[in-house]
Amino acid sequence: MTDIVLYFATMIGIYTIAAIGLNFQYGIAGLINFGVVGFFAIGAYTSGLLTLAGVPVWAGLLAGALMAGLVSALIALPTQRLNVHYWAITTVGLAEVIRLILLNEDWLTRGSFGLVGIPRPLDAIVPAGYQTAAFCGLVWLLAIACYLALRLLVSSPFGRVLKAVREENDLALSLGKPVFSIKVRALAIGGLLIGLAGALYAHYLTFISPADFLPTVTIIIWAMVMIGGRGNLAASVVGVAVVTVFLNSTRFLKDVIALDPQMIASLRMVVIGLLIMAIVVYRPDGLFPERKKELADGDTHAGR
Amino acid sequence: MNLTQILINSLVRASELGLIAMGVTLVFSLLRFANFAHGELALIGAYLAYALSAAGLDLWLAIPLSAVATGFIAVAIDKALFARVRTAPGLVLLVASMGLSLFLKNIVGAIWGTKSYSFEGSLARSFSFAGGFITSTQVTILVVSVIAMLCFHLLLSHTRLGRAMRALADDSELARARGIRVEAIISRVWFIVGSYAALGGALIGLETVISLELGYSVILPAFAAAVLGGIGSVHGAMLGALIIGLAENIVLAIDWSFLPFAFGPLYIDTGYKLAVAFLVMVAVLILRPRGLFQGTSGD
Repeated sequence: MTDIVLYFATMIGIYTIAAIGLNFQYGIAGLINFGVVGFFAIGAYTSGLLTLAGVPVWAGLLAGALMAGLVSALIALPTQRLNVHYWAITTVGLAEVIRLILLNEDWLTRGSFGLVGIPRPLDAIVPAGYQTAAFCGLVWLLAIACYLALRLLVSSPFGRVLKAVREENDLALSLGKPVFSIKVRALAIGGLLIGLAGALYAHYLTFISPADFLPTVTIIIWAMVMIGGRGNLAASVVGVAVVTVFLNSTRFLKDVIALDPQMIASLRMVVIGLLIMAIVVYRPDGLFPERKKELADGDTHAGR
Repeated sequence: MNLTQILINSLVRASELGLIAMGVTLVFSLLRFANFAHGELALIGAYLAYALSAAGLDLWLAIPLSAVATGFIAVAIDKALFARVRTAPGLVLLVASMGLSLFLKNIVGAIWGTKSYSFEGSLARSFSFAGGFITSTQVTILVVSVIAMLCFHLLLSHTRLGRAMRALADDSELARARGIRVEAIISRVWFIVGSYAALGGALIGLETVISLELGYSVILPAFAAAVLGGIGSVHGAMLGALIIGLAENIVLAIDWSFLPFAFGPLYIDTGYKLAVAFLVMVAVLILRPRGLFQGTSGD
């Protein structure tokens, strides 16, 4: 029982880091990223490969996060001037190219066999029996640190400009704000978190392969953010918890209903898809919308 | 691979892709969003055609029937989802279509499972033609696709519906003011777009296999073709499909050993085929953000 609880807690912690990274990009900065899984994979593989080569885990985690952030910035530099639709397509394509590289460059990534035996941090210093709990604690420590850092960023002048860009891109531009470099930075920061989550994922499961990084992962993390609420970082954890528990609890359903497990897997995703569509139509700002600062009288604005 | 073979393969690829890319560009120009679920319409078309043919229908009947059915499904999807968020910002529509694609793909997955299927009785004979080989299936694909595209061209240029569609893409407010029944036109467009995507999907299934990945594997090349042709231009999308088809086949067929860092023969792994379309698209977007051929209504 404790194993299951710890598993849930750890997974929720990992996905929370990714979800607040995406929520920062989408909710705070108003930028679409449909390539979440690509950055997640970069973090996982960077940290996995480095630690397998003998680099300490903390350095692997750091490198994974930095690499994902760097790739975010690099892809944003030439293409961020594109309109939102072209940019969305570009991010999907990028994630796909990353997956193809993982699959085809055997010499580096071991192709479809994946990476086996990725070390877990703390295993050496924590006594046996407490290792999963210690890892869970580490994940949540990092998640809370990331959340606090983002909160600080959002309330800083940088965060205010971000929101200005989100609401009125051209107005921010006309006020002389460096809109372009601000967007690149926001994408890089979000990418950093998504990469860190990917790295933690690799060290938690100790085995990763390209099959872990299918496009569905992107949509699942989007569902988490949409349920929690756009721009509301703390609420993302609710979305993450709901989706994680739902995705895992239905695994036990096959004992209750005589359905083919493959069919249950498909139906799970049908529900997630429905959920995203329902939220878009009925509650576009999520269950817990971002609380907007009071504006001057008469200044009504649509929050999307 | 010789030049004729590259040309044949590219043309076949382009005729499948064109049918799907044309819908991407139409939806984008009329409703102003990139529909990520468009590949899933092709997927549904392929599976319905398979199911009908497996039930005993002749392919010549199964495929058109599946196209019509998918057309209606596309109209229903629009009424149930996109019509409710018609005026929402682009971001919201993008997310909606992303959710829709997950939904549709897994409905198909729940019904047909993860196995892949191939049409029965599609025994392909191979002909040698000008130094290359072409199968009877590929000839069928080329002919069917050319006829379908020609029909659409005539519809767009010679009918009231086509005129209304063009007016709507140009300036929807003006079109509304001139008494065009916008919602009715949009429904018809979804029908056309859905059935053409289904036709494209069924033709892909005819040439290769039908699997759950069909929709996802075709959406990026289709977007690439639409972007290349200039969003909004149906003819451009078809030309874009041809360019993507050529690029995919040429890049993989070339011996890159002339590059300075290469030692010995250097071919790009076929595993990267999907990436070719994407890289061509990104290059075009950076150099010519409005596509190679100016669309009727970019942005």
